[in-house]
Amino acid sequence: MITLLKVLLAGLVFVITQETSFAGFQFNEEMKIFMHGLEQQAKKEEPSFKGFNAEKGKEIFFKENKSEKHGKISCVTCHTSDLKQKGKNVSTGKVIEPLSPSADSSRLTNVKDVEKWLKRNFNQVYGREGTTIEKGHVLLFIKSN
Amino acid sequence: MINIKAIRVMIVFLAALTIPSVSLADKKEDAKRLPRITNDLYRKECGACHFLYQPGLLPERSWIKIMDTLDKHFGEDASLDTAAKEEIKKYLAQNSAEKSAAKRSKKILSSIKSSSTPVRISETPYIQSKHRKIYKEVYKRESIKSIANCIACHKTADEGLYEDDNIEIPKK
Repeated sequence: MITLLKVLLAGLVFVITQETSFAGFQFNEEMKIFMHGLEQQAKKEEPSFKGFNAEKGKEIFFKENKSEKHGKISCVTCHTSDLKQKGKNVSTGKVIEPLSPSADSSRLTNVKDVEKWLKRNFNQVYGREGTTIEKGHVLLFIKSN
Repeated sequence: MINIKAIRVMIVFLAALTIPSVSLADKKEDAKRLPRITNDLYRKECGACHFLYQPGLLPERSWIKIMDTLDKHFGEDASLDTAAKEEIKKYLAQNSAEKSAAKRSKKILSSIKSSSTPVRISETPYIQSKHRKIYKEVYKRESIKSIANCIACHKTADEGLYEDDNIEIPKK
């Protein structure tokens, strides 16, 4: 009887932990504060703003732009279309660890790093820095992958 | 008593003998090898995108120019915050070719005109002359990508060793 209870309990614990992992990656404190800041800023800049949207982030991530050096370029050029896979720097060939926090737990955990790469990579792909709203959309897209 | 004294003298004498031989071997090694990279921030920030060039591959003035123009870094935006930029710049400057004991550093240095500040290692006359027999097409191979990717052919480049014995040019 006790053994049966133990088995049931273990099963229950297993299901619960599985459920929470399905709930997906959650931002840590500093990232929550950063995202909240982006949201407040977005509301100021765009009164009709209704929250960040992963689908819009996906569009930004996949959109191709002209590049002098590479012909056409998008975020996918280096990061691939599957964020759980490793990517490759188009210029140097250096391997890039997956962007998805589910594949690389260090992703989206450090605000300084996040800001650095957003600035560099928007400049690289769009020839300008990202707007507050664009940055929020893209971060939500990466988080959801 | 005398014996112990004699043994002591002997030990000191033998110990003294080992000192110059060790440092001689070290010197030989130092002359062959570009000093290893010792700065973690340089490793993290610059190594994220490309091969980590040993600071002894360029003169100090070149590293300063590179680090002061990171927003336009060979056609890419590689900008860093001021603190990180300054730390890496200091590390590169303090370990530049002028301070390196490697022969190769001295050869690179003496090949550069004092009026020029190259920002590409591959544009220094010494490195150019060393690569003169390599067809340009070779660098376009998928696993090489460009002449800047030292480690594609110099298999021990990450240890600072660029000896002929350690070269293996990939076919694709």
